[in-house]
Parts: sequence; structure tokens; C-alpha cells
Amino acid sequence: MPSSDVQETAVGADIALAGVTVRYGSPKAPVTAVEDVTLSVGAGEFVVLVGPSGCGKTTLLRLVAGFERAAAGEVDVRRAAGVVFQQPRLFPWRTVGGNIAFALARHGVPRDRRATRVEELLELVGLGGTARRRTWELSGGQQQRVAIARALAGEPRILLMDEPFAALDALTRERLQEEVRSLADATGTTVLFVTHSAEEAVLLGSRVLVMAAGPGRIVAEVPVGLDRGAGAGAVAGLRALPEFSRLRGELAGVMREAAGR
Amino acid sequence: MTTAHLKGREERRGQLQATRTRRNTTTRRTNPRSTAARWIALRATALVVLLAAWQTVTAAELWPRVLVPSPADVWHAFTEGMTTGYSGHTLTEHLAVSLRRIGIGTGYATLVGVPLGLVIGAVKPVAVVLEPAVTFLRTLPPLAYLSLLVIWFGIDESPKIWLLVIAALPPIAAATAAAVRDVPGELVEAARALGAGPVSLLLSVRLPAALPEILTGIRIAVGVAYTSVVAAETINGVPGIGGMIRDAQRYNQTAVVVVGILAIGFSGIVLDAALKGVERIAVPWRGRT
Repeated sequence: MPSSDVQETAVGADIALAGVTVRYGSPKAPVTAVEDVTLSVGAGEFVVLVGPSGCGKTTLLRLVAGFERAAAGEVDVRRAAGVVFQQPRLFPWRTVGGNIAFALARHGVPRDRRATRVEELLELVGLGGTARRRTWELSGGQQQRVAIARALAGEPRILLMDEPFAALDALTRERLQEEVRSLADATGTTVLFVTHSAEEAVLLGSRVLVMAAGPGRIVAEVPVGLDRGAGAGAVAGLRALPEFSRLRGELAGVMREAAGR
Repeated sequence: MTTAHLKGREERRGQLQATRTRRNTTTRRTNPRSTAARWIALRATALVVLLAAWQTVTAAELWPRVLVPSPADVWHAFTEGMTTGYSGHTLTEHLAVSLRRIGIGTGYATLVGVPLGLVIGAVKPVAVVLEPAVTFLRTLPPLAYLSLLVIWFGIDESPKIWLLVIAALPPIAAATAAAVRDVPGELVEAARALGAGPVSLLLSVRLPAALPEILTGIRIAVGVAYTSVVAAETINGVPGIGGMIRDAQRYNQTAVVVVGILAIGFSGIVLDAALKGVERIAVPWRGRT
């Protein structure tokens, strides 16, 4: 493990991994999921991890979330990271509002202020007035919005998203991509976003890290210098740009090359 | 989701109309409502056949009437039980006392069993020590420890309650422990990501997530208490349905014994259905996620 990588880690980064290796399985027959990964995500940055399934991108995100432990290397994450998973993972025994109130309670928001906060957060994700609904009464897209609102309840500095739109239909996905990007811009939240789609990566990320499998590692970095307008339609507007198509094609090429290695 | 739901409902309605008009010969998809009606009819038929067989056997006097009472004898014993009663109490009073014992017994068993199961499910060292104890208790027939309870607590109400608590506790503790262990890791992870510590993880995530199985455990425990109540009432059990059966046995009142058995069985079915209803109301998310 080259220790010199540590120097690359930016000072003041929200997420900093240096020479990180993650292994699964028994000590006798370990499987290396991620090997010698160094990355840093600065405050307010929107970084996307792309790669084929099994390349360890989810493992990397779980490591940042604190669900995995590194076998080697250094992990430095500014605490209070919100996590959005591929599935909404809402608590079915609580109402929509109750799910968000749970997160508020864990972050020490006093009882009498929770109801107001719940409504604010629901409005933020376009679900105002649904606090008393049962989670299973909502559509998949709406449930994922609640999950995002719930992850934002603790006002996290960092938002970790693990293919959050993969299970949604195309229309809902586009709308949520839009919302997440503008939310991140508006709140200045640092986002680490995992996807396998080159299009989604270019649409959302300011910087895209390409991973390859066997063992999982970062093989390329693609900066996305697209001119994003602010507000509604900012993401959708990108699709029309010739620059967007060029970048998407370039990234797809890099991903293909990485997968072929 | 909702549109699929509506579509399903429309389909069902369509099928119903098709069966009503009896033109539905090509598509033989079963209609849920007519299927249910058919099962009820089958059940009723079986009951009628059973009663007829019973009547035939007693009419033929294959066995003495004292040993095998006729349906009419049992009916007579039932009406007499409802009005004049046996052993100084009406049938309703006997049943009420037994149900009260079952209620108190499973109540205490729930109060102890759920926390016990939570701890067993969440803390490994506790599980190592207590899990075999729960299994041991579960396999014991209540009559085996009744004598001990009588020595310790006498022959009044307390040994009966103790017996029912001991009988009802293991299924509740075991169901709770298993359910707490089987809580989906995804939910636990989501809660941890939201900042839940070990205590709130146990009480706000594992406990509610385990609620459906806990309620099933309680329902099973009520069933176990039901099967144990007669054992609990073998000594000084009057009033009580078990005590009534014991008394009737002593005087060879076979019809009364049968009435007692039927009373336990039927009230058990009703209670089980009621508990299933409670489950549906308390756990509306069951099967939806």
C-alpha cells in the first residue's frame, strides 16, 4: 500500500479515503472487494462513482457510511452523513411523517418542533400534506422521496446515494434527478452518488470517478464541466447540449475500456 | 400500485358476473368469493355427516349410553348447564372463570416473555444461557410441574395462574427472540444511518419490526394456555371448565364432559379468530412490504 497517496488527500475534504482496501469473507479465504482506493470529495462537491456491477462502488459507499470497515488504509469522513439506498427502506410501522420524525428525534430535535420540520422536509421533496399517509400507500418514486427527506432530516453535511433511482421508472427518475441536483445546489450538501449509468453520472456529477472490478479500484476520473443553470429544468436542459452527448459518449468509452481490462 | 389494485378488482368483478350468468365455461379461473362459499358448504356437510354418524352409532347402542352419549343427551346437558348448571355454577360461569385464568396467565406471560425475548434476541450471552432454558420449559407437559406448584403455592388461584404463565411464556419469548433476530438488516442499517443508537435500535426498530411475529407468538401462547387450563384445574378447579369436566368424570356424567370439551374447543376457535383480527388491526403493514 503506497503511503504517499495520503498526501493527495485534500485538506478540509468532507470525504477522504487514502489507500483503502476492503475485504470480505473469512480471514482464511478473503475476497478483496476494493483495493487501494484513494479519493477525496470536497465540501459541496457532487461526485459520482460509476462502474459495472461488482466493481465495489457500493462497498466504497458503505465504507464511507460506516457500514464496512477498511482492512487497510485511512478513512476520514466528516460525520453526519445521510444515506439513501436503492430501496426506500422506510419503516412500515410508522407513517410517512413518522419516518422523518424518527430521524429528527435521533438528531435531538425537540418533540414540539418535529411536526413543523416534517412538513418542511416533505415540501422540500414535493410531498407536502402526506405526513399522515401510510408508507405503502405511496408509489415507489414517492417512497424514495420520503427516504431522501428522511436522510436530509438530520441536516447532514454529506449525502451518500447508492443507485437511488435504479428501481424507478424513467419519468420519475428524471424528475428526481432534477430535484436531487437542485437540492444539493441549494443546500450546499456534499454528495457521493453511486450509479452504473453513464448518462446519470454526467447529468448529476461535477466529477465522475470510474471504477473497474477484480478487485475494485478507481481507474479514471472525468471532470464534468457542464454549464448548469440553476433552478427547475437545469438537469433536463443539459440533455439538449451537444457537450452533454460528447461527455456521455466519452464516459461510456472510458467505462467500456475499464471493464475490458 | 393503486391502478394495478383497481384493475384486479375490476377483473374480479368481471369474473363474478361471468359466473353469475354461467357463461364462463372457457376461462376456468376460480372466483375467490364462490370458492369461499364452497369451502363453507363443505365444512357444513362434514359437520352434518359427523352428527349423523354420531347419532347412528348411539342409536345402534354399540356402546352403553353411559360411555357414548347421544347428540340429544349432550344437547340436554348443554341446556341444563346453561340454566341450572353443574357443580354449583352455570356453564357460562365455568367458562368465564377459565377464560379469566387464561387471560391473566397469558397477560403475565406477555409482560415477561416479550422483554425476555427481546434480550435473548439482542444479547448473545443472554441467549446462550436462557435459550436452552426456554426450550426446556417449552417441552415440559404442564401436569409435570403442577405438583411442584401445588406444593409451593397451595391449591388456590395462584398455582393455576403460575401454571398458565409457565406454559404460555416460552412460545412468546421464543417468537420474540426469533423475530428480533430476523429483522431485515436493511432496516437496521437505515436506522443506524439516521443516527439510531443501540437502545433506540432495539426499541424503535427491532421491537416494532418484530411485532407481527410477537403477536403470532401471543396467539400461539393463548392456544397453549387453552390446552393447559384443564391441567391447571385438575385440583380444586371449580368453578372452571376443567374443574367441571373433572367433577363430571367422577360421577360418570359423560354428556357433561363432552359439553365441557365442546365449550373449550368452540370458545378457542372464536378467541383465535378475535386475536387474528387484533393482529390485522395492530399490524396493518403485514404482507405489504
